[in-house]
Amino acid sequence: MVANDDYARFRTVVLPHLGDAYALARWLTGNTTDAEDVVQEACLRAFRGIGGFTGVNARAWVLTITRHAAFTWLGKNRSSALMMVDDLEELERRELSQGAAMPGQETPEAALIAKADAARLEAAIAQLPLPFREALVLRDVQGLDYREIAQVTKVPIGTVMSRLARARRRLMTDIGTDESRT
Amino acid sequence: MTSATKNDPALLIHAYVDGELDPAHALEVERALAGDPALAAERERIETLQRLIRERLPPMAAPPGLARRIEAAIAGTTERPFFARPFSLPWLFPGAGVRRAPSWGALAASVMLALIVGSSSTWLTLRQGQLTPAEATADMVLASHIRALKAPQPADVASSDNHTVKPWFNGRVSEAPRVVDLGNEGFPLIGGRVDVIGRVPVPTLVYRRRQHLISLMALPNDQAPAVTSALRSIAGYNILTWRQNGTLYWAVSDVAPPDLDAFAKAFRAASG
Repeated sequence: MVANDDYARFRTVVLPHLGDAYALARWLTGNTTDAEDVVQEACLRAFRGIGGFTGVNARAWVLTITRHAAFTWLGKNRSSALMMVDDLEELERRELSQGAAMPGQETPEAALIAKADAARLEAAIAQLPLPFREALVLRDVQGLDYREIAQVTKVPIGTVMSRLARARRRLMTDIGTDESRT
Repeated sequence: MTSATKNDPALLIHAYVDGELDPAHALEVERALAGDPALAAERERIETLQRLIRERLPPMAAPPGLARRIEAAIAGTTERPFFARPFSLPWLFPGAGVRRAPSWGALAASVMLALIVGSSSTWLTLRQGQLTPAEATADMVLASHIRALKAPQPADVASSDNHTVKPWFNGRVSEAPRVVDLGNEGFPLIGGRVDVIGRVPVPTLVYRRRQHLISLMALPNDQAPAVTSALRSIAGYNILTWRQNGTLYWAVSDVAPPDLDAFAKAFRAASG
C-alpha cells in the first residue's frame, strides 16, 4: 500500500530532474532506449525510497539513484564496461606518481578544439572510460560541483578532480587531433 | 584531495577553472599561470572545451511521455487493496489489459469520493444546527472514516512502523499522537492520515481488524467536546470515545462493539 503523500513528494522531488536523469542514463548506457529503461527503474527505486530522502539536494539524490540503476543495467548487459574500472584506477595512480599529468607538447591548440562539431564531441565523450565519462558529464554537461559529483559517484573530491582532468585531457587530444588527420 | 595531487598544477588548473579552489590555492595557480605559458595554454584549452560542450550539447529533455509512463509504472506496482479494484472495468477494454484498469479504477473512485464528500458535507451543514457538540463531532468523525474508506488509500502515510508514522505528523498537526502497533493484539497498524474535525486538523491512526479498518482520531482536550466514555452506533458504524492522557480518542469502525472495545483496551494498555 502506498500513501498519496508519496506520490506528491515524488512529483515535486523526482520529476523536475527527469531530464537530468535521462541525460545521465543516456551518457552511461550509450543509447536512448536503454536510458529510458534505466530512468524508469531509477524512478521506481526513488519512489520506494522517497521516505528516506532528506530534502537537501534533490537533483544529486535523483542522479545518484539513476547512476546506480545504470550500473546495475551495465552489470547485466555490458559487464565489460564495468570491469575496466579497477584497472583504470590503477593506471590513474601510476600515471599520477610518474607525473604524467603535465600537459604534453602534442596537445592541440585551443582553436583546433573549438572546431569540433556536436557529433564529433559526442562520439569522443562516448569513448571515454566510464569513470572519466561520468565525471565529465556531471561537471561539464550537467553543471554539478565537485562535492555533488563526489556524492553521486561515491568517490573522494580529489578523485573527482583527477578523473575530470584526465577526461578533459583525453577529449582535447581526441577531438583536436583525430579530425585533423582525416 | 590526497597530498600527492594537492599541489600538482596540471590538476589544480582544472579546479581553478571550475571555481573550486579556496583563495590560497587560487592565488597559487594564478602565480603559476603568469609564469608558465604551457599552463596558460592548458587553461585556454579547458575553457574552450567547456564552452564547446555548452554550445554543442545543450541540456537534454526527457522524451515526451516518459514522465507519464513512469507514473503509470508506479501506479501499476502500487497495491490498491480496498476500493480501486472493484471499480476497474477490464471487460470494457478487453484489448487494453491490466495497465489501463488502475487509472479507470482511480477515476471512478475519485468520482465516488467527490459525490460522497459533496453530499455528506451538505447534509452536515443542514443538520448541524440541531446537534449537540458531541453528536456533531461524532458525525464528522464518521464522515472522515467513510471518506477514507472510499479513497484509494485509507492512510496518507502507510506503514506499520510507529517510527515512520509518528514523525509524519510533525508539522501537520499541532501535536503528534502516541503511535503504537497492535499487531500482536490482532489490530495491525496500517498508517496515519490527517482529518479535519471542526476546522482543526487532527491526527488519525488507521488499524486493521481482519478485513475491517478502524480509524482512531486523537483530539487535543481543549478542542474536544465534553463527552464521557461512550459507545454509539450510527448508520451501522460503531464509535467509541474515551479520554486518556489529556487526549480525547474517537475510534470508529464497522467492527462489532466487542471488537472495538477490545481494540480500545489494547490501545490504552500499549500507550498508557
